[in-house]
Amino acid sequence: MIEYLIKGPLWYFSLAVFCIGVLWQLARIIFAAAKTDLSVARGSASGGAWRNVFSRFVPHREIAPRIRLQVIGGYMFHLGLFALLFFAAPHVHFLENHLLGFGWTPMPHWAFIVAAQFAFFGLILLWLRRMLNAVSRLISTTDDHIAAILTFVVMLTGCLALGQGFHALNLLHLFTVELLMIYFPFSCLMHAFTFIPSRAFTGAWFGRRGIDA
Amino acid sequence: MLVVLLVLPVANASTPQQHKDYPQGVSSISPGSDLWREVRQRDLPISGITQVQGVESGVLINADGDRWARFRIENPVRYAPIVLLVVVAILVLFYALRGKVGIEGGLSGRMVKRFTDYERVVHWTLALLFLFLALTGLILLLGRTLLIPLFGHQVFSLLASASKESHNLVGPIFLVSLIMMVVSFARRNIYEKGDLTWLLKGGGFIGKSHVSGGFFNMGEKSWYWMVILIGLAISISGLILVSPNFGQGRVIMAISHVVHVLGAVILIAVSLGHMYMGSIGTEGSIEAMKSGYVDINWVEAHHDRWAQQVKENDEVLTAEEFARLHGRIPESTDNATGQS
Repeated sequence: MIEYLIKGPLWYFSLAVFCIGVLWQLARIIFAAAKTDLSVARGSASGGAWRNVFSRFVPHREIAPRIRLQVIGGYMFHLGLFALLFFAAPHVHFLENHLLGFGWTPMPHWAFIVAAQFAFFGLILLWLRRMLNAVSRLISTTDDHIAAILTFVVMLTGCLALGQGFHALNLLHLFTVELLMIYFPFSCLMHAFTFIPSRAFTGAWFGRRGIDA
Repeated sequence: MLVVLLVLPVANASTPQQHKDYPQGVSSISPGSDLWREVRQRDLPISGITQVQGVESGVLINADGDRWARFRIENPVRYAPIVLLVVVAILVLFYALRGKVGIEGGLSGRMVKRFTDYERVVHWTLALLFLFLALTGLILLLGRTLLIPLFGHQVFSLLASASKESHNLVGPIFLVSLIMMVVSFARRNIYEKGDLTWLLKGGGFIGKSHVSGGFFNMGEKSWYWMVILIGLAISISGLILVSPNFGQGRVIMAISHVVHVLGAVILIAVSLGHMYMGSIGTEGSIEAMKSGYVDINWVEAHHDRWAQQVKENDEVLTAEEFARLHGRIPESTDNATGQS
């Protein structure tokens, strides 16, 4: 019964909420009424957009020493999670069998383990830093904490199911993934889809005004 | 499939030439059992020749394996829970008799910065990973004897699989956080003059006189080096156990297992004392790892030499300055400025 629920109705429901929710959120941003900029352009908006998209991958020299932990932890977590999500063998097989109908070469098992370790370590560092730094703690919302904890729980259940020998552990992992998919569109996790457009928008605004930032 | 070409004396023992008294064609019910018994129990070297390339692939039966399994069941599995329960009992008894160790004059509200954000992140990372590894490790060590009677074989096998996989994955991260701990804290934990006095006076628990201490006292320094050295031993032995394909034989694996379990049990037992002292055991201690600041009265009570330094350097914050730093504006200031 539980297996049927998790693999059947709940999976399709969470998938629908995720897809519709993400599309709705993106559409809301794209079609939001923006004021027409009547000022005379002092620079290229598109140039500013492209520059901002890529330059923000590296922190500003002035603040880099103070945010070293966040930068290193951030890259470890996001790159590790990306590799896990799209190149871990169980995920590739799942995407092929349940979603896409085609697959690709997964990474070897040792790389899978290293990626998981990077993701875990990065997330722990980032979340602890959020909790322990007075300013970060003050500006953090409930959504930030729920998103971090939910992501951690998904990774932890995935880690527990690594042996692939117990169906119950695989189901537990899938269940937590479904919870995350339902929560995703309505949370700060949407930054996975919005960080590039957001940077481009800000960069275009800066570029048009000739701001070198 | 293991293919072993052993030159066994027992093979000769079964030839007709040496058993002239026995009639031909008589077979025992299980002719193999005598052969394998001889393989296990004879005193000759038990390694043979094989085409299979690998560490100890010529060993048909590892007789030491039984001895190792018996040792594991009779020692670590039997004594580890006793050691941990005794430590818990001592702490409960100590708390019942002594209670929370207070600060003379109570907390003043004036604070001194003790640890940076980074140092606290390193501490809690190591602590969280350690707790996770301790829990999963104890499930693997004691589960067969303690959990199977409680939950049955099916639940235990699921728990054991989950614990093994997560323990092996998280272990190497513990080593990295241990290295971060060395880099962040080693310099201030080098023993210095006066530390021995602290030890001789039992850290203030023997007698009622005050014991002098610097930024870290001898107890904290000893705990730190214990974590680093035993932690490294546990990590290295763990890596040997988790990567059996690097050429290490069974003996090295067995020794690593002993080091791993012994080190882990010692570290878990002492960490219970550390957790007690850092939280409910001593007034004001937990604040050091929560906010990074400690009360000046706490500093004077436990680290008087450091207290002298921070006073000389004018590093003591007023309660209001501390509250502002942490986004907690005192009420009196709110009223004066009209802020909500």
